[in-house]
Amino acid sequence: MIALPLRTVVGASALAVSLALAGPAIAPAAAADMDKVIRHVFPAGEEGFDPAAAHDLYSGTVEQAIFDTLLTYDYLARPAKLVPLAAEALPQVSDGGQTYTLKVRKGIFFTPDPAFKGAKRELVADDFVYSWKRLMDPKVRSPWTWLFAGKIVGLDEAAERAKTSGRFDYDAKIAGLEALDRYTLVIRLKQPDYNLPYVLAHEPTSAVAREVVAAYADEGGRVMSNPVGTGPYRLAKWIRSSKIILEANPDFRGFVWDFKPGPGPEDAQIVKEMKGKKMPQVGRIEISIMEEDQSRLLAFQNGELDLMNMEGPLAPKVLNGGTLTPDMQKKGVKLSRFVDPELTYHYWNLTDPVVGGLSKEKIALRRAMAMAYPVEEEIKVVRNGQAVEAQFPIPPGVVGHDPAYKSSIRYDPAGANALLDKFGYRKGADGWRTLPDGKPLVIRYASRPESVGRQLDEMWKKAFDAIGIRMEVQKEKFVELLKLEKQCKLMMRTAAWIADYPDADNFMQLLYGKNIHQSNNACAAIPEYDKLYEQSLRTPDSPERNRLYHEMAKIIEAYAPWRLDISRYRNMLVQPRVLGFKKHPILHAEWQYIDVAAGAK
Amino acid sequence: MSPKGRPEGEYRSAQHKGSPVGALRGEEAVVTAYIIRRLWQMIPTMLGVILLVFILFNWVGGDPAYVLAGKIANQEQIDNIRRQLGVDQPVWVQLWIFIKQVLTADFGASWSTNERVSNILATRLGPSLTVLVPLLILDTMFAIGLALAVAYVRGSLTDRLVMIVCTIGLSISVLVYIIVFQYFFAYKLGWFPVQGWGNSFRENLLVFSALPILIALTVSIAPNLRLYRTFFLDEINQDYVRTARAKGLSENRIMWIHVLRNASIPIITHLMAGLPGLLLGAFLIERFFSIPGIGREVILAVERSDFPVIKALTVYVAFATMASNLLADLMYKAADPRVQLK
Repeated sequence: MIALPLRTVVGASALAVSLALAGPAIAPAAAADMDKVIRHVFPAGEEGFDPAAAHDLYSGTVEQAIFDTLLTYDYLARPAKLVPLAAEALPQVSDGGQTYTLKVRKGIFFTPDPAFKGAKRELVADDFVYSWKRLMDPKVRSPWTWLFAGKIVGLDEAAERAKTSGRFDYDAKIAGLEALDRYTLVIRLKQPDYNLPYVLAHEPTSAVAREVVAAYADEGGRVMSNPVGTGPYRLAKWIRSSKIILEANPDFRGFVWDFKPGPGPEDAQIVKEMKGKKMPQVGRIEISIMEEDQSRLLAFQNGELDLMNMEGPLAPKVLNGGTLTPDMQKKGVKLSRFVDPELTYHYWNLTDPVVGGLSKEKIALRRAMAMAYPVEEEIKVVRNGQAVEAQFPIPPGVVGHDPAYKSSIRYDPAGANALLDKFGYRKGADGWRTLPDGKPLVIRYASRPESVGRQLDEMWKKAFDAIGIRMEVQKEKFVELLKLEKQCKLMMRTAAWIADYPDADNFMQLLYGKNIHQSNNACAAIPEYDKLYEQSLRTPDSPERNRLYHEMAKIIEAYAPWRLDISRYRNMLVQPRVLGFKKHPILHAEWQYIDVAAGAK
Repeated sequence: MSPKGRPEGEYRSAQHKGSPVGALRGEEAVVTAYIIRRLWQMIPTMLGVILLVFILFNWVGGDPAYVLAGKIANQEQIDNIRRQLGVDQPVWVQLWIFIKQVLTADFGASWSTNERVSNILATRLGPSLTVLVPLLILDTMFAIGLALAVAYVRGSLTDRLVMIVCTIGLSISVLVYIIVFQYFFAYKLGWFPVQGWGNSFRENLLVFSALPILIALTVSIAPNLRLYRTFFLDEINQDYVRTARAKGLSENRIMWIHVLRNASIPIITHLMAGLPGLLLGAFLIERFFSIPGIGREVILAVERSDFPVIKALTVYVAFATMASNLLADLMYKAADPRVQLK
């Protein structure tokens, strides 16, 4: 990869250091060999391929192959590092982190489509302005509104006007979102936001063409089945929830594979296999949707699949802890494994009359419950060893993570019992504890009616039995759980959050008081935490911001709105014929960076 | 002799009077009147189905707006989605919309994917029927043939062995059949693909549906064989069979003509009762073999609280049930002209 000249980043210098990387060099188009096929599998169906409208992982994976964002991540760099994609370079930041200026790379074209009426359609700055406005259009009802809501000058006001008039005025100028010329884009923020570059690498902010939306939009203004982008692949065939065929975009600009390896033999081997190749090499991606674990595994073992994510229940069949079984190794199967940038946690609703509140006896109750829960046993029994215990609210692979941090909340049922005794949760003649005022103490744990949900019920039942607290299970469908959770009507539940972008803020906002009824499912409003969180928003990635996160982690342990649980491993199985594959922690689609061995078509 | 298995129609011995042509015309008029009467009866039944589905969904169906809103959404955005889906409307307005949808056969678009419901049904029914129609034919042929054979040798060692095998077969979960068959026949022996769905009907039927059909046949043949055997045994013990034997008719003629014909009415009842199930696909088979059928859509719709899809499927299945019952009554008449529809 030929390095592009670095732009001088004005203003937020700390951000500049983290972002100072160049994107891949443009190579002659149409390098892909249409006979080279990668067969991939999704364990669940996709919604559709409108970046503004679809919000499931699998739709997002396909969108990343079809559309371009302004920025993306370096394929090999760990932790994940931003590089330009459709932008010429990383953004110039000015006005103390409130203005971002980007140049769209010249000569990027949309895949030919009848919507363009025979004309060759170049990607321009206005396409991004239009695409981002769509995220705010009430008619589109985008699940990604939060990426820009409250951030860009004039954009919220435009959305408000659309609610009144019933129509979003895409032609109206928005002060904070401006295409200065054909290729120059300026974003003006209401306040500094050091995470904006990550947002610009997230697939919902991909560029779509207005003509395509005009030609194919449904009643909701969505284009789920006619994706037309500027990315390396185009949708060739789609049988919903069954098969997705992508073919290399013949008009794609291409690039030369030249990523810098990290330490370790895996990266060195990848560089050896791939360096200097014109990309993409693979001409056809065949994605099958297989919901059943056994079907996916047998299909992979039978050579019907090239890439497969190994979910927890299957792990013991092909993994001995963190390595492949001898049988799989003998077949030459490769494993790409890392801890996902995700966090699973158990939360208590801080507005609940039994477990909520910030008084000492309520805090003691929550801490005792947290201390009674055996995370290690969950990893062994429920997760088949495919997870690590979370010590810090920011998981591995995310900026701000501290691998050395150890939580003060440990598995200690004796300590938990002593704490409950001390704060007046006395055991009755029946062996069950009551509240300090003598009223019955029953914890209602909400979960889904599926296997992991049932296993977690049992884990918690065992934990509660050990400290003499009665537990009831509240079984709800996922949609109902979400509703009750957002309304702060659940007492306790286990939740998970996977990084939308690899920055601590994406996780620490989960306990911010103003996010109650949104992402703060513990409904926690802890003044000390909120104050520190607001301070962290004004601070770029730095030791100072990390110090704030440490203090916030201590507050989480002190008030115990959560019991930090686990971060799961991602185990990607790769057939020997696949070259250059390394699972990226944030990118969903790696197809444009890999190849298939010669003679193994 | 009295025909058996009559869930809908009532029967009495036919006593034709006058000329044969006149009797035939009279019979046609009776059948036509019967069909019209039954079609009329479908209207209140369908209204009942609509009401029941509507109440059940609103009671236990869940609110999809919270899923559709994404990971981070405020109440205003959720309300906007509810408004667009129409679930913020008064209950009677929502019910009227449902009735209009049934009358126009237009159930709109899926709430979760925006795909037209008509398109979902049109594209998913084909793969399901590719598996289920051959299965129905094969199952009926094998179950009737084997049931007749074991009924013929009733009480023998063969009969008992077949019944034991059937009982064991019945006791095993369909999931076990799927997992074991897929592992051995597809993965270990390589006789079939592990999963998948192709581009042509021929490929789908002969390559991808073969193992699913084999599994479904293994699962369904045991209970059907036992059931049909009892139908045949009921007939074999009738006086007319003894009379036929006394008259010197061959056993083949007695079994294949007389017994089979008289046992056909409960068999028809059983078969027709299963026909509407074709519209619901075969969920487990479709999931394990990645067949893009309607069964997977049913489960997804329930999981996602996708009411337009649930509404459409429920109404079509209800209609198909009523239609197949009517068809069954007409087939009784065809199978046994003595049956009279009233």
